[in-house]
Amino acid sequence: MADHPAVEVDDLHVSYGSTPVLTGVALVVPAGAGVCVTGENGIGKSTLLRCVSSLQQPDSGEIRVFGAPPGATPEFWRAVVTTVEPPTWYPGLTVREHAELVCRAHGQDPEEAGIDEALDRFGLTGHADAIPPSLSSGQKQRLTLAIALIRPSSLLILDEPEQRLDPDGRKEVAALLATYVEDGGSLLMASHDETFATASGAHVTTMESLSAVEP
Amino acid sequence: MTAATVPLAPVRRWIGRRQSAHRERGATVGNIYFALLFVAVVGGIVHKQLAVVFWPDAPNASRLVAASLVPTLFGLLYLALRRFGPLALSRPAASWLLPAPVSRRRLLLPSLRLAAIVAAVVGALAGIAIIGHAAPRTLGGPAVSLLATGAGLIGVALLLVALAAQAGGRWGDRVDAVVSLLLAAGLAGLIADSASSGSPAAGGWPPASVLLPLVGALALVVGVLFAFAVRGLARTPNERILEAAKTAGTLFDSAFGMEPSFLTDMIERRYWARRHLRSKRFPVRLPVLVTQDLLLVARRRRRLLWLALAAALPVLLADAPGALQGIAVLLGALLAASTSTGGVKTDAGNPTLLRMLSLSSRQAIFQRMWVPGVLAALWSALALGLLATLGDLPAGPWWALGLTLGPVGAVAAVRRARVGFVRNELLPLDTPMGTVSTGPLVNAAIGPDALLLGLPALVEIAQGHPLSWTSVLVQAVVGGVGARAYLAGTTSPDRVELNAAR
Repeated sequence: MADHPAVEVDDLHVSYGSTPVLTGVALVVPAGAGVCVTGENGIGKSTLLRCVSSLQQPDSGEIRVFGAPPGATPEFWRAVVTTVEPPTWYPGLTVREHAELVCRAHGQDPEEAGIDEALDRFGLTGHADAIPPSLSSGQKQRLTLAIALIRPSSLLILDEPEQRLDPDGRKEVAALLATYVEDGGSLLMASHDETFATASGAHVTTMESLSAVEP
Repeated sequence: MTAATVPLAPVRRWIGRRQSAHRERGATVGNIYFALLFVAVVGGIVHKQLAVVFWPDAPNASRLVAASLVPTLFGLLYLALRRFGPLALSRPAASWLLPAPVSRRRLLLPSLRLAAIVAAVVGALAGIAIIGHAAPRTLGGPAVSLLATGAGLIGVALLLVALAAQAGGRWGDRVDAVVSLLLAAGLAGLIADSASSGSPAAGGWPPASVLLPLVGALALVVGVLFAFAVRGLARTPNERILEAAKTAGTLFDSAFGMEPSFLTDMIERRYWARRHLRSKRFPVRLPVLVTQDLLLVARRRRRLLWLALAAALPVLLADAPGALQGIAVLLGALLAASTSTGGVKTDAGNPTLLRMLSLSSRQAIFQRMWVPGVLAALWSALALGLLATLGDLPAGPWWALGLTLGPVGAVAAVRRARVGFVRNELLPLDTPMGTVSTGPLVNAAIGPDALLLGLPALVEIAQGHPLSWTSVLVQAVVGGVGARAYLAGTTSPDRVELNAAR
């Protein structure tokens, strides 16, 4: 996997009806590096992330993730974690059990993977026995990030991970993402908060600079 | 702060006028006409069946059945009232009128009136059905109408209890539990009667002269309590009314959008929101999703208890054709298996967590079929074993046939859980009674259709011949091969999403 960049996007075009959103977008995320895309609302950040995560089919253009087209295979999803789409939580399962389920599915031992530390770091220890739908929106965001970070992966695709987090939470998440990149993981995210992005160890770039044509 | 309230009637009139401005002229009249036509046509078609249900030619129920029907029918009425409120507002009224400075009593009175009418009518119908089945035909018209009136009053009394429970605290849950027990006892009585052969009840019914003061006293008591309830209406807590308004709204959405999953999802969400859970550690040996389903089942012990009791229900069909009994067993297997398909339902609706788990759709569905399969197998074995023990089925290893229905129930329940929203774009059918949209019909059939895999068992039950081990083997093979084919046909080892990309 190391021979290929984590993400390569070339000449990507997406339009919703007659409104072009992405016009000739090109982007490279080297393996083991972080890139943060910024830009105003509606400029196409989420669309770009959705295309890279194979959750949306572009009109034209080429996308490669670790040298291969993104797919819906279990192998792809073992390498890639995305929070572009919010999850629907399983009924009757607590916060901690959701984290443990994901760990076990990846063959991890929950104690070794450090579930309790992760929940503690994200301020969820007091809510370990709650069911996720009863959490606040910020806590749900924290849980999603905790689960995304606790399982093994090579590429994180995060859509505004700082959203709904309080200032301390942002610092904490930024530090975790920086560690993730330092440990060899790749990161592609969209954000409105450049301080957060820089603290996450990501190279900040604007959506305009990625497009061949001004949208 | 003043206690002055804004009069409600002009507000309601204003809303009514604005709404009618958006409706087509004569739409309401048309709707009433079609509703009446529908009732007349359906009544004309099924009046014979209605007569069998409410007023058979001769009384055919024993004392035990009559005594069991009372807690069964009125217990169901009470639990239904509790589940739907009983006091509800429309969602717009809950949003806009509940926080407004209008008289709370006047706001809620129409809802109470409607609930009282429904409870009285249902109670009276239940009373008539019980009298029709159990009372001798010598009972005079006045006595019958007095008894029916009494039953209607009991319906209203139950409504008042449900109303107090809606406003009150935890005792409401306890009353629910007691009523559930009475309901279970009533069902047990019905089953016990169909297992034995009780003779139809004879006399012992009080004459009209005795009933008149009794019903009069009951009417007085219910009337006084109703007046108290109306006075206390304003004390109903807001959150209870909001909850009931959500139920009413979801019910309306379900009916209007012909999408029953709105309602079932809401009931499930509320159930889990009220539970206090403790996180459990997952055992290492079992596959993760099997563990998850087991956890889900372990947390629904009350439902398991009901399922176990419901295994006796096919006994009620002892006098019906064997095929009907077989269908009841198959449907029961589907319901038993559905206890643990919440995970499949979640994944079918939103594959995000499945992507996080990175399991292939084949692994996921394979693991998720185990617990439903075991539940279906145990339930069918219990139901068929009971039928055989009570002598409703000829000799043979019926319990083993029940066990082989496990894969059948699992396939049907998982298939049902994977069905998405109703496809309302499907071509509607024009019939003489109006247009029937096929979407909901097709949707309702997905899942139960897989019960065809239980055809060998159904044929065995319907025929009523002694059961051989060969037949058990045939059903086991058909069920096993069917489950395998389902897995191979609808999942893939290199796709995570349960539904193939469109």
